[in-house]
Amino acid sequence: MSSTSLAVINTKAPFATSHGKDALNLALIFGSYEQQISLFFIGDGVFQLLQQCDGNTLNVKDFTKTFAALSFYDIENVYVSQESLTKRSLNNSLLIDGVEVLSDDVIQQHLSQHSAVLTF
Amino acid sequence: MSVYTLVVTTPPHQNNTATVIEFAESILTAGHQINGIFFYQDGVLNASTLTSIPNDEFQAPAAFVKLLNDHQVALHLCITAGEKRGLTDQDGVININPAFTVSGLGEMVELTSTADKVIQL
Repeated sequence: MSSTSLAVINTKAPFATSHGKDALNLALIFGSYEQQISLFFIGDGVFQLLQQCDGNTLNVKDFTKTFAALSFYDIENVYVSQESLTKRSLNNSLLIDGVEVLSDDVIQQHLSQHSAVLTF
Repeated sequence: MSVYTLVVTTPPHQNNTATVIEFAESILTAGHQINGIFFYQDGVLNASTLTSIPNDEFQAPAAFVKLLNDHQVALHLCITAGEKRGLTDQDGVININPAFTVSGLGEMVELTSTADKVIQL
């Protein structure tokens, strides 16, 4: 059985839709089956990684707390777009630990190394 | 010849879903294989027997069933996503089209790991 290296691109803010949660659930399953997977956060997706994210104040179950557990699923590659952060006046220091901020050019290079891409 | 997995995340009334079917038919016509179509997010609504699309509009659910019947393309439904949207096969209430296989995300791992290409529409 050949293996797929999957890139999951998150493009939506965390709580207005369930896209972020759906993407995370998918990533955790792939991780638990020991598949290679990387997470990318671009556009409004970068809001998912803010330390102060708290869905509970919006009466939404806060799936973003689960990002802290990604390494238990062997998901080590979490990439954030520097340009997307800058455009939203967000500083790298506002982000949760364990994420790597990259320029869009480098993100593009990383994406091209994956055999499948899903966007949420 | 390549093996494709298709991932459908759009509901039957969106035109993207019609594109999935055209794309699937083109793949098969070109001699490639589809090891399965996985329905996730709002894509699961394609499996609802309660959806009624006006006769003069594209019948996406019927087109998926035709893909299964004509080409044995398996239709996998993420049941967690389905139950959130009112789909069920429990307690005597069944509104999931029997052409669809009730599955979970684990099936998606299985499909994508045996595919050459994974396409989301």
